[in-house]
Amino acid sequence: MAAPQIPLGDYLTVASALFVIGAIGFLLRRNPITMLMAIELMWNAGNLVFAAFARQFVDMTGQVFVFVVITVAAAEAAIALAIVVMVFRRKRDADVDDISVMRG
Amino acid sequence: MQGFLTTAPFTILSLPLLGTIFIALVGPRVHRSVSAVIGNLSILGAFVLTAMLAWTVWHLPPDAQVVTVKYPPAWAAHPVFWAHIPPLTISFEMRIDALALLWMLIITGVGFLIHLYSVGYMADSHGYRTFFAYMNLFVFMMLLLVMAGNFLWLLVGWGGVGLASYLLIGFDAQRTAAVLAARKALIMNVIGDVGIMVAIFLMYAHFGSLSYKEVFGNVSAANTNALDWIGIWLLLGAVAKSAQLPLQTWLPDAMEGPTPVSALIHAATMVTAGVYLIARAHPIYDHAPFAAMTVAVIGCATAFFAATVGTVQYDIKRVLAYSTMSQIGYMILAVGVGAYAAGTFHFITHAFFKALLFMAAGIVIHNLDGEQDVRKMGGLAKRMPLAFWTFLIGTLAISGIPPFAGFFSKDAIFDQLLTHGHPVLWAFAVATALLTAYYMFRLLFLTFLSGDYRGTREPHAASSTSMAVPTSILAVLSVIGGWLVLPGHDAISAKLEPVFAGALPEMGGINAMVTGIAIAAALVGIAVAWALYGRASQARTKLRTVLSPLRALLLNAYYFDTIYHWLFEVPALTVASDVARYVEPDGVGGFTSGVAGATTKIGDVMRSWETGYLRRYGLTMVIGMVLVLAFYLYLVHGAAAVGMK
Repeated sequence: MAAPQIPLGDYLTVASALFVIGAIGFLLRRNPITMLMAIELMWNAGNLVFAAFARQFVDMTGQVFVFVVITVAAAEAAIALAIVVMVFRRKRDADVDDISVMRG
Repeated sequence: MQGFLTTAPFTILSLPLLGTIFIALVGPRVHRSVSAVIGNLSILGAFVLTAMLAWTVWHLPPDAQVVTVKYPPAWAAHPVFWAHIPPLTISFEMRIDALALLWMLIITGVGFLIHLYSVGYMADSHGYRTFFAYMNLFVFMMLLLVMAGNFLWLLVGWGGVGLASYLLIGFDAQRTAAVLAARKALIMNVIGDVGIMVAIFLMYAHFGSLSYKEVFGNVSAANTNALDWIGIWLLLGAVAKSAQLPLQTWLPDAMEGPTPVSALIHAATMVTAGVYLIARAHPIYDHAPFAAMTVAVIGCATAFFAATVGTVQYDIKRVLAYSTMSQIGYMILAVGVGAYAAGTFHFITHAFFKALLFMAAGIVIHNLDGEQDVRKMGGLAKRMPLAFWTFLIGTLAISGIPPFAGFFSKDAIFDQLLTHGHPVLWAFAVATALLTAYYMFRLLFLTFLSGDYRGTREPHAASSTSMAVPTSILAVLSVIGGWLVLPGHDAISAKLEPVFAGALPEMGGINAMVTGIAIAAALVGIAVAWALYGRASQARTKLRTVLSPLRALLLNAYYFDTIYHWLFEVPALTVASDVARYVEPDGVGGFTSGVAGATTKIGDVMRSWETGYLRRYGLTMVIGMVLVLAFYLYLVHGAAAVGMK
């Protein structure tokens, strides 16, 4: 017997909660590493929605997309961390508000 | 035979063009005489080929003497090479018939003599090579004009001769007067170009084609009103090009160009293009009585008007310019009343004697270092015998004294005016003949006779062979040229017969009374000129005081220039300077700097958004996302659902 079906709404509630936590974290924190982690939360909220719908409609497309997202997220994390390292070497600090030289 | 008929016209047309291109590309790298030789040879070659072509065509049976040639034969109707705007296809076609051939013979023949003359006349000029390049370009364009087989190619040639004329009038670009004259000629000619363009539009609207063959083949089916309009618009072109009233003011100013240019373009060939156009479009004018009558009246009015102005001018070339205008008036008058052969005949003789007069005058001007005022000449007959005798022959020819060329062609026109029933036009034409004889002999007396030399510059005696030879040849032609048409022997009408298809009355019938009156008028004119200028006379001074208001009117050429100045130039300049003062800085400039300023301001506002703070960007993205989501929900669930939420 299969485990009792978890309703779709529960998945979406969890995903929304993850996303909002991620977004708030991204907006409120100053540490770039923490911000990256917040972004990672948002990625995963999206992944969860994909996977949930894939399961709901028994369609592999959503799951395939999750893999793509994970790959892109890995690449993004690699580049972002490299930038953070470079900034840290230069500034001896890691506050994103200090790197606002790109303003108009 | 057929092969020659197809290749010769193309070769004739190409030679002057190749001459231009050669002189333009290679000329500056080789000795200046090479340009002169190429310029002359290309025209001579074209003349020889034209003569051969004419000989060939005139030995065909009469009904085959109108040859239409399309070029190049394989591409003739190919839409890629020529204009193809369905349903209209315009090919490069030429029409070689007697009318075109006579014009081609004069253009290349007299053109060659004038090129030869230029070798000597322009010898001291800095722009020696350029001059021959321009002259060859002119001959090419003029040939294109008369050889074209449809109105579009005619217009190309028509505009091209205007361009060549502009370049050559303003040839001495150092002098302001020359540049202004060139500009004036170009503007007046473009008015005429527009007239022909409108005529072409009308032809397309009524006939659906621009080809001579199709337009002329369908004229009898068209209504007279439409044909009258086409005729009037074509006439506008003819009037501008041939310096007829009311667009005549550019021709006297065009005398600023070098004398060979005046002889070739502003006497022998280009200015007679209007006559050609009307003779060429004769099926239209045959069916458009109002337009034809307008042509005749304008021609007659110009002939008389120009002759009156010519009586008081002092610039030797200006007198000749007014006489050209007057003689072209005769031709326009002739073709207007349907005497096409007489008009063509007068064109031929006029090309001979007017080119001769300009060349003889050119020798005088050349030997006097550019002096053109006859008041500073006088008594030159002994010093320049060649110029004197040739000028005398030309003067006798233009005055219509038998057996010189002008007599026969003028007599043909007078005769046909009466035959066609236009006694009033005839009376004016005869009065013009009297005035012509008067002012031409006045000019002759003032320049070559009447006492001693009045100038201060010492005249050179020698004139170069290259100037003397063509002048002498034209002198001979000015004597014998009229013998083409003798009683019982009319070479011109016989040749033109296939073109005009029986619409030509025979010339050469000497009507004793008409001829007598014409000769008498000429003799009276000569007698008056002799009485006033040929001997020491007090009458001249007295007459001048008595007629001073009339004299002022004529000296200013009926104030046409002044009228045009106030009517067109002043309003145009006023508007232009007001536009420059107000519209340009505040309107055009204001708009431009307004756009620039607005862009800067928008940029300033947008820039403040770009703080460089990452959280700011993040917030923007989140807000955007929420808005998109809200919009999406609104679309999917409707306004009620959003409200509920």
